[in-house]
Amino acid sequence: MKQNNDTTFLAKWLSGELSDSELKEFESSSEYQEYLEITKALEHAELPDYDVEANLNATFHKIDSQEQKKVKRLIPYWAIGIAASLVLCLGIYTFFNTKNYSTQLAEQLQFELPDGSEVTLNSASNIEFAALNWKKNRELSLQGEAYFNVKKGQTFTVNTTYGKVTVLGTSFTVNARDNYFNVMCYHGKVKVITTNNEPIILTKGKAFSLQKDQTENYTIQHTTPEWLSDQSSFYNVSIFEVVQEIERQYNITISGKQNLKQAYFTGRFSHTNLDTALKTVFTAMGIPYNLDKNKNVVIQNY
Amino acid sequence: MNPIKNSVCEKAVFETIFREHSKTIRNFIYMKCGNLSQAEDLTQDAFIKLWKNCAKVPVQKVKSYLFTITKNAFFNEYEHQKVVLKYRDIQRDKVNIEDPEFQLQQKEFQQKLDNAINRLKPKEREVFLLNRIEKKKYREIAELLGIAVKTVEMRMHSALVTMRKEIKNYKI
Repeated sequence: MKQNNDTTFLAKWLSGELSDSELKEFESSSEYQEYLEITKALEHAELPDYDVEANLNATFHKIDSQEQKKVKRLIPYWAIGIAASLVLCLGIYTFFNTKNYSTQLAEQLQFELPDGSEVTLNSASNIEFAALNWKKNRELSLQGEAYFNVKKGQTFTVNTTYGKVTVLGTSFTVNARDNYFNVMCYHGKVKVITTNNEPIILTKGKAFSLQKDQTENYTIQHTTPEWLSDQSSFYNVSIFEVVQEIERQYNITISGKQNLKQAYFTGRFSHTNLDTALKTVFTAMGIPYNLDKNKNVVIQNY
Repeated sequence: MNPIKNSVCEKAVFETIFREHSKTIRNFIYMKCGNLSQAEDLTQDAFIKLWKNCAKVPVQKVKSYLFTITKNAFFNEYEHQKVVLKYRDIQRDKVNIEDPEFQLQQKEFQQKLDNAINRLKPKEREVFLLNRIEKKKYREIAELLGIAVKTVEMRMHSALVTMRKEIKNYKI
């Protein structure tokens, strides 16, 4: 029978392409009824219902949400990636670049900057600077007090909360603490720029101080800061600041500071003997105090 | 002829195309995967692609474009579930519907038929259903699938042969 050899026989039967004789022969075969049953059953079969409008709406909904996503993403992902790596690089650069030196109470620290300039940090002070490219950009920030012996070269700048001090090559001290700013020039020239005042230039042996908006220019005799030789010296400095300096140098707490009356101290005290230091400051200023064996200092009412 | 008026990018044109072809596409995918929600999802995705590329696809080529996308989608995603056909009860007029035995036989045969369809090779099934359910001519199927008419006929033939055997051997 032809249907067994022709691999398209049944297809031709379905499409009505069989010849009359072929059809007759097929209809008399045993399988014919079974094939017919299949095709008859499928005549009434269909695929699940389809809601064209619902699908159209769903499609437009998807298109809208995809376009919205596109619009919202003003900064593409790759740009964010680049930005993130830049921030990371900058962070790593800053981390390795930024040098930080600080001292605790009753501590001093001496170190060299990359160009050979010397810095001595007085107690409870902090210096931060960018080490790379230092020779071209000599700029650092200071909290507290430090002595600088600057090698000749590019402008050297000390930034503080109260103002900045710029020099070419010299030695000087900058002291920037709570409400007290003081610059002393030992060699060469320094330029002091404070927020509310005209820039001033200090030459050798000149000093400048700023206390609660009061500026003062004065002369100094010494050629290095006295705290380098275990002394603190003051010229017309508020007694509050002097007492704080005693606390810093001896790492003690002086109580009864509320009893202090406004006064200005000129002089120096030693860093090596607390008893002597207290006598030189408090006795000279007529301030009654008490020092016990445990180094507790109490200022009495007067 | 105004070219813009006839562009797929025109929403009205796109909607017309959707109403005209989306059912065929959905059915075609359903025959292939037997998963209705997946079929409708893929159909919508195909039309979204058409919308995005609307400027590149001339209206006359839309149909073959949609079928090409659909076929490509199956290279990525193919998880066959059962194709379930719906049988209309048109026997109502011809036969006494009070005859429960006849109804039972009908149901039984439909079950066998569904089973046989799902046991076909995917390539046979899609050709067979396109012809029998979607009433497409062999030439149309060949065009849609990009195969020869002779291949379509061979798949039709072997599909029927397989189905007859499956129905005979089927045990409930």
